[in-house]
Amino acid sequence: MRMTTHLGALLLTALLAMPVAYAGEGGSMIKTDELKAEPFRDAKTVAKLAGGDKVDILKKDGGWLQVKSAQGSGWVHMLSVRRGAARKSSSGNEVAGLAGLASGRAGTGKVVATTGIRGLNEEELKAAKFNETELKLAESYLTSRSEAQTFANKGKLKARNMDYLPDPSAGESK
Amino acid sequence: MNRSITQWLAATALSVCLVSAHSFDFQQELKNAASSLKEPGKLSSLGGYSEAEETEIGKQIAGNLLGAAPLVKDKLLQKYVNNVGRWVASQSERPDLAWHFGVIDSTDINAFAAPGGYVFVTKGLYRLLNDESELAGVLGHEIGHVIRKHHLKILQQSKLLDKGSKLLAKQTGGSDKVQNLIGSGAEIVSRSLDKSAEFEADRIAIVLATRAGYDAFGLPQVLQEIGHTASNDSSVALLFKTHPAPEERLTRLGDAMDDHFDGVKGQTLMGRLYRIK
Repeated sequence: MRMTTHLGALLLTALLAMPVAYAGEGGSMIKTDELKAEPFRDAKTVAKLAGGDKVDILKKDGGWLQVKSAQGSGWVHMLSVRRGAARKSSSGNEVAGLAGLASGRAGTGKVVATTGIRGLNEEELKAAKFNETELKLAESYLTSRSEAQTFANKGKLKARNMDYLPDPSAGESK
Repeated sequence: MNRSITQWLAATALSVCLVSAHSFDFQQELKNAASSLKEPGKLSSLGGYSEAEETEIGKQIAGNLLGAAPLVKDKLLQKYVNNVGRWVASQSERPDLAWHFGVIDSTDINAFAAPGGYVFVTKGLYRLLNDESELAGVLGHEIGHVIRKHHLKILQQSKLLDKGSKLLAKQTGGSDKVQNLIGSGAEIVSRSLDKSAEFEADRIAIVLATRAGYDAFGLPQVLQEIGHTASNDSSVALLFKTHPAPEERLTRLGDAMDDHFDGVKGQTLMGRLYRIK
């Protein structure tokens, strides 16, 4: 157990040094944004990318993605890019392009019964019976504040101050 | 998940008095709560329930949810999630709540919070995660619902009249009285909260993760990942029904975060994310 923790810490340190690689993952611009030479707002602007422009994602750094585009290479805000095109759905069907992607709420909430797949729909939740054994088990895994602090220290996580973000729509008329 | 709970809770004064081991002036409490709702700053008086009552309500909901989907039987996983969750929750204004986190055995992609500090993530959602900062972001969103008492508020707002039939619900274990308050089973977790409550929980998640030393963009990354799931995929049916679309949440988050996080670096801890076998 202790060994594992130490090994984990070592591994962690090694991995921390590595940039997160997205080896060729595709993406497209959600909105117009500037392509920057470096991952900073004040960095030199390389080009302007328009909504819909395709990019290849090379790596991530905080809120920035390093991308290659037809207009050149550089960094864009992560939140300006829609990563990937599609991935397999849980039922194994290939998702057909962006048109089939989540753009709103799903219709009925009905789940097609599939053997071996345990879903969690409204009917199941409504019919659920109190399970005291599982609740006790869940509560047995409680981590104390001091344990959490130790865990954070191992990951070199340092607590810092930051104010809550105001609601950006709060000033708008309702 | 949240909406249900709150509505039933609201059912009321009557039920609440039953739940309460010690009597208190519920009418006055309701009035206090109602006025608190108009003053977002007055968090401490929000809710109208004592912490003991809040925990009792949360316990009942959590026990029911676990009746629908039990814990993944992996002790290391559960302990890991509690470690991350408690560290993130420690950055909130309710660090000393008895926070409980768990991964439940469902292929659905979803996460749930119940009053009193009970937070559950499905195995389906957990499997989408790429690093610890993403887990911190997901748990931070649920922690946000708990600390702002979103579900309790809904319960308080609901009308006593809607409740009558629910008082006849059969006892299924746990506390009868609390069960009466929350409706059938864990249906309360399949209700939707206000969109504004979801956006608020998203903003709180970003801040708590950042305070905890993580990369601020864990939650946005998970939302992008979820956005790639076809909207007609059953694994996201309940999530999409009860939450604004991932794209909308990302846009709102982008507006709220603006450039505040440009120079803020944090850990992603990809290597420490516990992988489910």
